[in-house]
Amino acid sequence: TGGVPRVPAPVTSVLSLAVTSEQIEHLHRRFKQLSQDQLTIRKENFDSIPDLEFNPIRGKIVHAFFDKRNLRQESDGLADEINFEDFLTIMSYFRPIEMNMDEEQLDRFRKEKLKFLFHMYDSDHDGKITLQEYRNVVEELLSGNPHLEKESARSIADGAMMEAASICVGQMGPDQVYEGITFEDFLKMWQGIDIETKMHVRFLNVDTIAHCY
Amino acid sequence: MEENRGGHGLTEGRILSIWMISFVALVLLPSVFRVSLGISHFYVKILIKILEWATLQIEEGVKQQKAMALENLISTGIIQRDETPMEEEVVGRCQGCFSLADVMYFSKKGCEAVAEDEVTRRFSSEELLSWNLLSRTNANLHHVSWKLAAVWVTGILIRYCLLLPFRICLSVFSILLLVLATTVVGQIPNGRENKPQRGSICVANHTSPLDVLILASDGCYSLVGQVHGGLMGLIQKSCMQTSQHVLFERSEMKDRHLVRKKIREHIADKAKLPILIFPEGTCINNTSVMMFKKGSFEVGGTIHPVAIKYDPRFGDAFWNSTKHSMMTYAFNVITSWAIVCNVWYLPPMVKEEEEDAVHFADRVKAVIAARAGMSVLPWDGGLKRKKVKETFKEEQQKKYCQIVIENGSVGNGNVC
Repeated sequence: TGGVPRVPAPVTSVLSLAVTSEQIEHLHRRFKQLSQDQLTIRKENFDSIPDLEFNPIRGKIVHAFFDKRNLRQESDGLADEINFEDFLTIMSYFRPIEMNMDEEQLDRFRKEKLKFLFHMYDSDHDGKITLQEYRNVVEELLSGNPHLEKESARSIADGAMMEAASICVGQMGPDQVYEGITFEDFLKMWQGIDIETKMHVRFLNVDTIAHCY
Repeated sequence: MEENRGGHGLTEGRILSIWMISFVALVLLPSVFRVSLGISHFYVKILIKILEWATLQIEEGVKQQKAMALENLISTGIIQRDETPMEEEVVGRCQGCFSLADVMYFSKKGCEAVAEDEVTRRFSSEELLSWNLLSRTNANLHHVSWKLAAVWVTGILIRYCLLLPFRICLSVFSILLLVLATTVVGQIPNGRENKPQRGSICVANHTSPLDVLILASDGCYSLVGQVHGGLMGLIQKSCMQTSQHVLFERSEMKDRHLVRKKIREHIADKAKLPILIFPEGTCINNTSVMMFKKGSFEVGGTIHPVAIKYDPRFGDAFWNSTKHSMMTYAFNVITSWAIVCNVWYLPPMVKEEEEDAVHFADRVKAVIAARAGMSVLPWDGGLKRKKVKETFKEEQQKKYCQIVIENGSVGNGNVC
């Protein structure tokens, strides 16, 4: 409609790459739809997305939108509501790779995405993924299967943690306790997994509006 | 002085009488006797020419052409969804083990859903490829060139000062006529033949209350629909006088059983008019056909599908009942250029022996969508107002489980 307010200029600095102003306008329209024409979105607004209901880790995804660490804010914890700029900040974690990125940019790009996933696992914000947190994620992913008992989910998580420990710390003595996966360890675990090309949402590139019937 | 005033009064009276005469002669009489004077066809042709000219203007003004990309954008949305099925993406590394990367897959799917989803797109007006010179659609293109702006302003003048009063006149008159006439006609039995035969069910996709008008102008039906208040309610009540219609409250559970019973009785009686049902249950924005509720397909009898497609260039017929009231919607429609609509009567279909109602409903839906050039969605139109059922959510989780767990037996917690 004609009433869409112009997106304020500072927003474009958040996504300095690969997202055109057309796409920002589209996202803005989507934001307005989700927020029902308010200036901010709350957790409840995500209930109106039927596609999202299907996702087993829906809770964690919605959580991620309000996580202050993802919003690049100084403080910790969860925000109650986010505005459009915050919305774009979160969406930018899923921007696709570009051809002209150099080594350093690529590395930063990868780290950012991994940080996002790390925050999804680390629900108490202490900078470490403990065994319990890992278990939580596995349980959420597998919770729909009626045949699966809690024990099985647990054993998967436990096995995964042991594997992680062996990658990160090497052989542990009988007295050593593996505290949890830190971000550096997390990075090590993802070596070899092609996150740059898999974890993105590709926007269609449209510059103009002309068309002939 | 007095002569002047007298003269004035006379010219005013003359204008009014000319208006009334042309109104009756050009509009009322032909429509009563179902004669077409060709005025609307002519009008539509001129409109098309003007809109094409406007599109060219826009192209010149903007100086670039990305026609294909734009087409894609409109039909598939703003993101290119990754269609790799869960199995391929997750299993990639090894069967029967859990991997960190699985979280990545689901978070990506989640982000895609937040950026855009197929369902809510259907409940807002369709995006147009080009501007159709109505003030309320699309980007602010009227400052592309002064010529275009001039046409746009003229368009506003024409629509609001010429078309609007004329149409208001017409609608006020018709509603009065309807209310008066139905009280009289209600006493006379109706005997016309029509395309869907008596004792059958006519099924169509639903975009707005106008669907009923359009079908009714070509034949008589009994209607099934949601009870409304206000102006719509008045029209509904008047229609009830002439033939048997079934009205119900959407949220009432027992109403649904009652409706089904009534429909069954209605079609059993071969003398009664065919019953018109919109199985989607709510207005969709005419770009796709959503889930057909199985109720009307269980009843038996012949189904006559009808496909209705509005041409979006001339005006938006979709009624977003959660956003606009009936009056706002009516105002929008009356001030559009025109409502141009294509109606296709499709050959009758019958439920086969081993087929269940849901499968039959899907079959009819596919036929209608194919004819009208719309996409098919399995989603329920009721999502406009309600949330997704829990059972659907669990389906996805179960699927993922099966991949990781490998048919019920757990691997020894391998991580890859």
